[in-house]
Formats: sequence, C-alpha cells, structure tokens
Amino acid sequence: MMAEVKSSRVKVPSLLTVVSSKPTAPGRVHKFTALDHAMGFHTGHIVFYYRRNPIRDGASMENDLDNLRISLSELLCLYPPVTGRLGRGADGNWEVKCNDAGVRMLKANVCATLDEWLRYANAAEERDLTVWEDLPDDPHIWSPFRIQINDFNCGGLAVAISFTHMHADFTSATLLIKSWAEIHRHEPVAHPPIFNLPSVINESAAYRRSSSMFSETNSEFEIPSVRMGRATFKFSEAKIRQCLSKVHESCPDATPFDVLAALFWSKITRLKSPACDDDNKCSLSMCIDLRKRERDSIPYGYFGNALHFSKLSVNAEELQSDRLAYIAGLVHQHVGSIRDEEFWANVAWLESHKKEGGQYPPPFQLFGCELTCLSMENTISSEGSFTYAAMFKQNEKPIHVSYHIGNVGGEGLILVMPSPEEGLARIVMVTLPEEQIVKLCEDQTILGLQPSMLLNGKQ
Amino acid sequence: MLQSLITHSTTQKISLLESNFWITLLTSSPSFKMPQRSPEFSGSVKLKYVKLGYQYLVNHFLTFLLVPVIAGILLELIRLGPDEIATLWKSLQFDFIQILCSSYLIIFISTLYFVSRPRPVYLVDYACYKPPVTCRVPFSCFMEHSRLILSTEPKSVEFQMRILERSGLGEETCLPPAIHYIPPAPSMEAARKEAEMVIFSAVDTLFKKTGLEAKDVDILIVNCSLFSPTPSLTAMVINKYKMRGDIKSFNLSGMGCSAGMISINLARDLLQSYPNSIAVVVSTEIITPNYYQGKERSMLLPNCLFRMGGAAIFLSNRRSDSIRAKYRLLHVVRTHKGADDKAYRCVFEEEDPEGKSGISLSKDLMAIAGEALKSNITTIGPLVLPASEQLLFLISLMGRKFFNPKWKPYIPDFKQAFDHFCIHAGGRAVIDELQKNLQLSAEHVEASRMTLHRFGNTSSSSLWYELSYIEAKGRMRKGNRVWQIAFGSGFKCNSAVWKCIKSIEIPTDGPWSDCIDRYPVDIPEVVKL
Repeated sequence: MMAEVKSSRVKVPSLLTVVSSKPTAPGRVHKFTALDHAMGFHTGHIVFYYRRNPIRDGASMENDLDNLRISLSELLCLYPPVTGRLGRGADGNWEVKCNDAGVRMLKANVCATLDEWLRYANAAEERDLTVWEDLPDDPHIWSPFRIQINDFNCGGLAVAISFTHMHADFTSATLLIKSWAEIHRHEPVAHPPIFNLPSVINESAAYRRSSSMFSETNSEFEIPSVRMGRATFKFSEAKIRQCLSKVHESCPDATPFDVLAALFWSKITRLKSPACDDDNKCSLSMCIDLRKRERDSIPYGYFGNALHFSKLSVNAEELQSDRLAYIAGLVHQHVGSIRDEEFWANVAWLESHKKEGGQYPPPFQLFGCELTCLSMENTISSEGSFTYAAMFKQNEKPIHVSYHIGNVGGEGLILVMPSPEEGLARIVMVTLPEEQIVKLCEDQTILGLQPSMLLNGKQ
Repeated sequence: MLQSLITHSTTQKISLLESNFWITLLTSSPSFKMPQRSPEFSGSVKLKYVKLGYQYLVNHFLTFLLVPVIAGILLELIRLGPDEIATLWKSLQFDFIQILCSSYLIIFISTLYFVSRPRPVYLVDYACYKPPVTCRVPFSCFMEHSRLILSTEPKSVEFQMRILERSGLGEETCLPPAIHYIPPAPSMEAARKEAEMVIFSAVDTLFKKTGLEAKDVDILIVNCSLFSPTPSLTAMVINKYKMRGDIKSFNLSGMGCSAGMISINLARDLLQSYPNSIAVVVSTEIITPNYYQGKERSMLLPNCLFRMGGAAIFLSNRRSDSIRAKYRLLHVVRTHKGADDKAYRCVFEEEDPEGKSGISLSKDLMAIAGEALKSNITTIGPLVLPASEQLLFLISLMGRKFFNPKWKPYIPDFKQAFDHFCIHAGGRAVIDELQKNLQLSAEHVEASRMTLHRFGNTSSSSLWYELSYIEAKGRMRKGNRVWQIAFGSGFKCNSAVWKCIKSIEIPTDGPWSDCIDRYPVDIPEVVKL
C-alpha cells in the first residue's frame, strides 16, 4: 500500500525518435516465423546498470543523449527490422514494414543513487526504468523497440531496452546492446545480425509430431489474480562452486544452471498448493536458447526467437526430498538431450496448425502458465558472458543487468542469468505471487548459499 | 491527376477546393503546358546555324566594323611609304606645349577612369553546413510524429502527407534536435543552440578552408529571417571568435529567403566604401522557434519543406585575394514588389485562430512570384544578355508596340548569358515554373532539384548548396557565369551574377562529398508513403 502512495522516483522528461544514419532501402519487409508469432503475448525488458556514465567523458557533443544517438544511429543501419513498424500482411500474419521510422528513446532522471537503487528499489520501481506497453491493436505508429536512458543522482546510468517478444528474445536484444556498445567504442561488431533462420523446415516424417509443447500449453491468457512479486538472488562463484562440488559426485558435468534450477524448483514447489498435479507429478517448463548448441545450428547473430520450451516432470516425493544432486542430474540430462530437431518439430507443428489463408495460430502464454525456468547458459563462456561484455567505455562493465518478461502467468518464472562476477557466479531472478516470494526469501537452504539480495524493496 | 487523388483519399472529407489548390500550388505550374515540338529535323538544324551566324555577327559587330577600317588604314600607310608619312607628320606642326597638354589630358582622363571604376568584389571561398546524421528526418518518422502530435486532426495529418509525397524532398533532410522530441520542445535556448551549431560549424569550416583569421575580418553580416535574439546573432559570432572591436557588423532579420542576396549586396556596397577589406557573410535559417504547432493547413506547409542549413561566405576587395578567389561578383539586382498589397500579404507571419503563430502562404504565390521574376529579368537582361538577344528583344518589343500587339513576346535566351543557374530551392513548383519560364533544360535546374532532395528548403543558404553541387560535379570552368536567383517574403526577387575566375578542382570536403556519386537521382512525381 505504501508503494502505491509514494510517487515514482523516476521522472521522464523527454521522448524522441532515433533513426538510422543511412536511409533503409524502401520496400523491405521482414516476416516473423511461426515461433515468433507464438511468443507474441510476452514482452521483454533488459536494464543495464553502469556505475559511471560512460558517455559523458571525451564526448563530441555537449548533450549526453546526442553522443549515444550517434552510435545508435550507426547501429540501426544494421537492424532495419528494428526501425520498422508492425502490421498484418496479406495472409493475416504479423510482419515488419522496414520503413525507416526509427526507435523511441526516452530520457529519465532517477532521484536516487545507484547503490541505493540496487539495494532498495522494488520490482515496481524498476518497471519505471523501461517502457511497459503491450502490442496495441493498431501498431502502425507504435515503436516496437523503446530505449530509455536513466540518469542517477550519483552519475550512474541505466540503459534499458524493451521490446515485443515477437520481435526478439533475450539473446538477440543483449547482442543488440552489445553491438551498440562496440560501435560506441569504435570497434567492429562481433555478432552482426542475421534475420533469416539458416535451415528450411524439413518436411520429413521425423519432424512431424502429433503433439508438441504448444498443444499442451494453455492458449487462454491468464492474467494472475494475485500480485506478483520479484526477488533477485546474486550467488557468488565460491558458493556455486561449493554447491557444485556436492553435486559432482553423482553428476560430474552439472552446470550452475542445473543446480540452481533444481534448488529453486524444489523450494518453490513446496510453497505452492497444490504442490503437484493429479498424478503426483511436478513439472517444470524449461526454456533453453538453442543458439550454437550444435555445430551447424542457429548462429548467435540470429535476430528473432530461437527458444525451445520443454517439460520436465518428476515425482513429487523425489522433488521434495532434498536430494539436490539427483534433481540437478535430471535437469542436466534433460537439457543435454534437447536436440535441434525438436525445435524444428515444434515449428512444424505450428506451421501445420495454420488457419485457412495461412495465418498462424494466436500466441501462447509460454512463461508462467506453469512454473517456467529460463536458461542463458549458452551465452556464457569461459571468456565471459555477452551480457557483461556490453561496455560503452573500455573495461567498464555494467555492474548489474536485470532481465524481465512481461505478462508472466501466475505460476511464476525463474530466470538464471549471468553475473558480473563471471565464471560460475549467477544471478537468479524469481517472479512469483507475493506471499510465495516472501517465504522463498526466508528459505534456509537458499540463504545458506549467502546470496546478496538486490532490488528487493525497502526491508 | 487531381481526380485520382481525391478518389484515393481517405474517407474523411477534405474541402475539395482547398486541397486542390495547395497540391497544385506545390506540384505543378498552373499556367504553362509543355510546348508541342514537331519541326522537321533538317529544317531545325538549318535554323540553328542561321541563329548561330546571326548571334556571332551581332555579338562581334564592333570587331567586324573595326577590322576592315584598320585594314584600310594599314594598306593606306603601306601605300604612302615612310617618307610621305614623315612629311605628313612634320606638316602637322605640333609644338611642345600642345603635346604636353594633350598628354596631361590623356593621363588625367585615364586616371579618372581607373579611380572611378568600382572595386571588384571577389568571392574567395564559401562553406556550407552539413547537419549531423542524428538530425535526419525520414518521411515515415515525420509522418509518425505528425500523427502523434496532431492526433485529433487527421485531416491536417493527411494534408501533410500529401505535401510530403509530392515535395521533391529526400530521406536525408535534417531538422534541428529540438524538433525531434514528441511534442517538439522549441525553447529559446534550443534555438540558440541550433544557431550556434549551424553558424559556428559553417564559420569554422570557412576559416579552416581559407586560412582566414577572425581578427582579420572587417565586415560581418549575418542574415537569419525568423530568429532574432538580443544580443544579435552577429554579436554571438563576434563573441565566439573574439573579433576586433572596430568590426562593422550587420544583422539582417525578417527579410525572408532572398536575404542571402541582400546580404551580398550590402557586403558589396560596404566593400566599395572600405578599401582593402574582408567581409564574411553568414546566411542561415533557424527552424527551432518557428515550427508551427497548430492545425491550419496554409501554415503547415513550411513545416514540411523547411530544413536545417547554413552557409558562410568570404568576400574581399583586396588585390592579393584576387589570385586565389573563386568568383568575382558582376551584378546584383534587387526587385521589390511590396508596393502591391497582394504581394505584401503573400507570405505572412500571423497567429491562427488558436493563437499559435506560423507563416501563412497565400493562394496567389505563384502568380506573384512570376511577376517578380519578370521585373527582375527586365532589369538584369540589359546587363548580361549579349547584343544579339537584346536586339531581338527590342525588335519584338517595338513590333508589339507599333505593329501588331498579338505578336508573341520574345523571351530572351538566358542560356546565352549564363552557364549555370542556381534557383532557390523553395519548392518543386518554383523550380518547375522557372524552368518553363526561362526555357531551361533539365541539366540547368539539376543543382536546384538535387539540393531540394538532399537538403530540403534551407532558405537563404540553398543557393550556396546548389553552387557547391555544381562544383562537386566538376562542371564549373574558368570564365563560366553563374546566376543565383532567390525569392522571398515581401515579395522580393533578388539575383546575383558571378563569374568564375579560377579553375576549380572537385572538392574533397563539403556537404556533397559523401553523396555526390549517388546524384543526380530520379525524383518521382509522387513518393508512396
């Protein structure tokens, strides 16, 4: 109640549009894939926090916004679908008319210092750092990408981007910001965008499936009736290593994702009532990014959705038995067994369920319809993660990066994200009904790993 | 064409007469049809040679007259022989005083002649402002902003779209940063920032190009029609560059798009009064404070056409600069139609019924522009046209007056007098109208059309972008004559004639350097938005 009465600490004084530095060739249209359409219900939001404003020093133009705009304009030349506008094509499917209209940019001031914010701001306030808008009915003058530059009192900066999930997934958006930072540093872009999937859908019988993840997903949109809360847990490398060492006896290849997913899954299931479905099985919906998992698979630069959803089910007793190593092993095995063919099979299912005239089926609520867990492990390598390589100034990494999904269902979402500490360290962001969040934050096993709590509101 | 326009229009009803008028105003010339050409080929070739022969004869008439006379005298002298010439000379009985007086007279007259000749005014060099790419405004962005800001006025939005489609502008024209905001944020500070950005950038480039130092500038003239702060923009320049205390500075405001030529005229007159001086002229138009935020259609037009731009010009009357100067100023002709009420109210800044101020354009604009042009041509014709054209014009005039008023008036061929034309890129219709009136080819008006496409209507500085285009294309040769014509509120038509006195290499910098290879482009009648 207090939070509602308090006015936001974020003030947005201005809004403008940034266009690419060179005009786009007219007449280009970017069509969305079946999977893009399926993701259309959700939105994505990423906030990059920098301790020092990286654009103020040594800048060519007096106005901060203008300095960033020069590099952004250059970046947008590489992304014509980002500066275009959505519309329905002749077959009723969504497409982007690349008409050079630009992206919206907002400038905001935050009445707090960066440290204060990262410790005490709650999820609702963090929402103000980006623009939360759903796809309108008539999006021809609506910008699907919105970038907000937030200035903190202490001189820190938060660069936030929000987008429709139909357009891009977390990896694509992260690489967009990373490429922008590379252009700003006058370095070549490491992952220039590719807008078409490499392989064509193979119509062979192997790919045809009678059912898929989508057929089992509820296509009714469920706006949660309870207030959703969010908690951010930052685990240090040492603690993760400790945890992994316990697990490695039974599962030597377990990754931090496996162990954290297993931990949070088991703890959260205990807080739910009913804890499991009728056959006494508990399920977790796993969302994996399929880029570069196999040799010839989808490249990192692919701009669009390359996510794969699958379900992992386990007996309720096993889940609630505190056998972390066992659950982690199951998760690891499940993730490891996902092949690219399954992705194409899902796509084939969607293609086969087109309406008359070729229109794709309406979007699904894929996040939160049941407890979902999203992994970004494939963007983390021994040299670091893409997320923390988005440096606008040499060697000045972001101190924190938050990821949000919009329109998450009431069952909740677990995001296992990279950490600025790199290596095995991870940040876990959990979205659950508020009362479950409160109890989760008091769980002893999780607290035993000594996470630092970020963005949890005033305690 | 108009019929199809109306049928294609949206379901909202737009006043037929009004939209018809505005679209015609900006896109096609109402008075002329393309002349039908159907002569026989051989007939036209013979005619061409006859014409050429006639021109050569009349233009070099004096030569043709003098050559036989001189030949005659020479033959006579040769026939007489040296002794006879000597006796002829002695018989004239010149005495010393007479010779002295005559030589003094000759020296006196020649000194008087040289002293009373006007000082030549040289254009050493000029620099045009190139806006940053972050200020670029593609059509889709402009229309989107228009829809978001004028969300309650769909008719006005539709109107703007029609204008933009037929305007002849390209996708790379620029608006100042304050106008990119939704809604636009035109504060005085933003206007000053734009002025600083444009003027300082142009003047810096000029100083760098020519090696000129700020302390050497004797005369400074800045013209900017719609933004006139206190202290003036001239004072702003003097402050930034720390110019001398005895500099003669002039700030011209309110004089419209033809103010550039007025500034050149003023600089010329000053350079006649002050020997060994340097003048810097800055022509620009600051768009920020004048972006119309209402919905009156006659006032929305400038929003669609006016874009950011500026130029700085270095003029001198010093003999030492004559070696490196690019051009010499031959004539400046100014015509003012303000005495006529309709002409006076033709381009008028006023408040709309909601109290928002903007510039309204009247329906008589093209007709008045035509009249002003005629006056200007009548004055400049005798100064620049070769004798052959003037004779023909005189004959046609006398014939119409005394013999048959129904004779077609002879329009002098200005292509004989000038090699290049810089027509103020006020809009597509202005260029079309002048092209037809003066019977110019597409290549002659190419500079104007391409400047309109790349930079939009940058008001008084557009003539300099056009000149820069001609140089960038490598078409400017030593001895070429250039005619710059500008129209402006008042109603005024001012023009200047320059002669190129140095061979000009294709510049490697300048506003066209990164895009000249793409030009000329084919500009469609209607761009589909």
